[in-house]
Amino acid sequence: MTTAGLIHVVVSGLATGSIYALMALSLVIIYNATRTLNFAQGEMLMVSTFVGWAAQRVFGLPLALTLLVAVLAAGIMAWLVECLIIRRSIGATHWDVLIITLGLSLMLRAGAGLVWTHDEFPFPSFFATRPVTLGPVRLAPVSLGIIGASLALMAALYALFAWTKLGRAMRAVAQNQRAARLMGISVERVYSRAWILAAVVGAVAGVLVAPVVFLSSKMGLIVINGFTAAVIGGFGSMPGAVLGGMLLGVIENLAPLYLPSGIRYSVPFLVLIAILLVRPAGLLGRVEQRKV
Amino acid sequence: MATLAVWPWVAPRYFVFLASVVLVNAIVAIGLNLLSGYTNQLSFGHAGFLAIGAYTAAVLTLRAPALPVIVTLVLAGLLTAAVGLAFGVPCLRLGGLYLTMATLAFGFVITEAILNLDTLTRGADGLRVPSARLGALVLSTDIARYYLVAAVTAVMVAAAVNLVRTRTGRAFLALRESEIAAEASGVPVATYRALAFGLSAFYTGVAGGLFAFVVGFLSPDAFDVFLSVDFVVMIIVGGLGSVPGSIIGATVVTLLHDGLAAFQNYRPLIFGALLIASMLFMPGGMTRALGRLARR
Repeated sequence: MTTAGLIHVVVSGLATGSIYALMALSLVIIYNATRTLNFAQGEMLMVSTFVGWAAQRVFGLPLALTLLVAVLAAGIMAWLVECLIIRRSIGATHWDVLIITLGLSLMLRAGAGLVWTHDEFPFPSFFATRPVTLGPVRLAPVSLGIIGASLALMAALYALFAWTKLGRAMRAVAQNQRAARLMGISVERVYSRAWILAAVVGAVAGVLVAPVVFLSSKMGLIVINGFTAAVIGGFGSMPGAVLGGMLLGVIENLAPLYLPSGIRYSVPFLVLIAILLVRPAGLLGRVEQRKV
Repeated sequence: MATLAVWPWVAPRYFVFLASVVLVNAIVAIGLNLLSGYTNQLSFGHAGFLAIGAYTAAVLTLRAPALPVIVTLVLAGLLTAAVGLAFGVPCLRLGGLYLTMATLAFGFVITEAILNLDTLTRGADGLRVPSARLGALVLSTDIARYYLVAAVTAVMVAAAVNLVRTRTGRAFLALRESEIAAEASGVPVATYRALAFGLSAFYTGVAGGLFAFVVGFLSPDAFDVFLSVDFVVMIIVGGLGSVPGSIIGATVVTLLHDGLAAFQNYRPLIFGALLIASMLFMPGGMTRALGRLARR
């Protein structure tokens, strides 16, 4: 394989990886605030992308407005789910909530199938798919666009967590919920903001990836890749989620070149197990100290 | 017990088959609950263990037809337990979500391994399982298979219920209450966590063997991640750390899947809604809800 070809593969791996990273970030945002693993994250991404697409078909919206509709739909859906279902599961353990989000994911997928069928639909892209040539290297603008847009969103998230009041409140709740409450932070508000924020990040990822993988009710399965990415990076760590996503994307794209096709789908999982054996809390995760 | 014994004589044939499936799932749920209930760790890879048990039993029966079914089942359980230990021991260091992710990965790797070992498993074409034999007896009817499953289930349930009265069982209980306190009291935590993993895999492997005979046809896509998720649903909806809870959960989930089949596309919608409702109204599972009801 030539270097130029290799660069092409790595770049498209990074593009896939950016999407995984965004998915992983959504999972981590909710987990850090609420200690809940949201199984329905992938289905929420899928439904909000579908809503954007439906609005675009009906009203002939430009793509930017489609994105806006998807983001709004995601925010409203997350807000409803949080205050109608999750908040009512007061006496429930984290595992009960896990089953609730699982039920939610089943409902969202089935609902999307009933409304929009289980077919695949083309989705318009912000970026051209025809490759451009940079010297010897051929690159797809869509890959570069996905990477760029994802990095911009990540930077925005970083700014939000580092500099805004909401971001500080979310970090405080992640560190110590009781202490945060004693400092006058409304933990309930942080919960619902975390759900909304995670859904919005997911919706952007959905609109970015839909042109590449086609829009379908199966899109929600990306949550498994997101979870894998978050665990590789160290669950709870946001830089870890980005690193894990990128790594996973590149490995997935490189593996078929060097390995027999029989095991290509196992490779990400074998890599994951190998990483966990060496670093039991992921690449950037910290082993949690047990307190008596 | 009596209902279980006369069931094949009063129920239509399909319901005999369904009862066998319920019992097989109950064994898996008990096995998974040994791991999750006691060591507080979820596994999303138990469909993988079930597959190992099922394929072991099927291949053994194909290659050595004279083997009595009990031996086949024990071997299926032991091989699955060995794989469980080989996978579980290195994973002892992993906590919480990391172990969950590792088991999820394990499940994917097993399905792909089945596809690749096609000389043994016939890969994606699927494998037809011959009838089980017990000496001269060929268990070729639904009723015969049902009695096999019911007998094995009875033994497995009795063993699980009595486990808490053994030294190992007490160690598991100590682990469940507090790993740190158990460690401080001299319970070798790592050993017992590994043991829980092996035991859980053994149960699931035996269930896998029964599954092979009951269903009669194996293909890798029957053991996908959704099946693993179903097992987790069974133990959480039924009740974590409880043998009756495992049985109730397995029964409810299996019958729901079957009963909702008529609703076709609406099935996951209804099933999902029921999951949400059950967790909102019965947090901690059905056994705890029943306990609260009894105390009133």
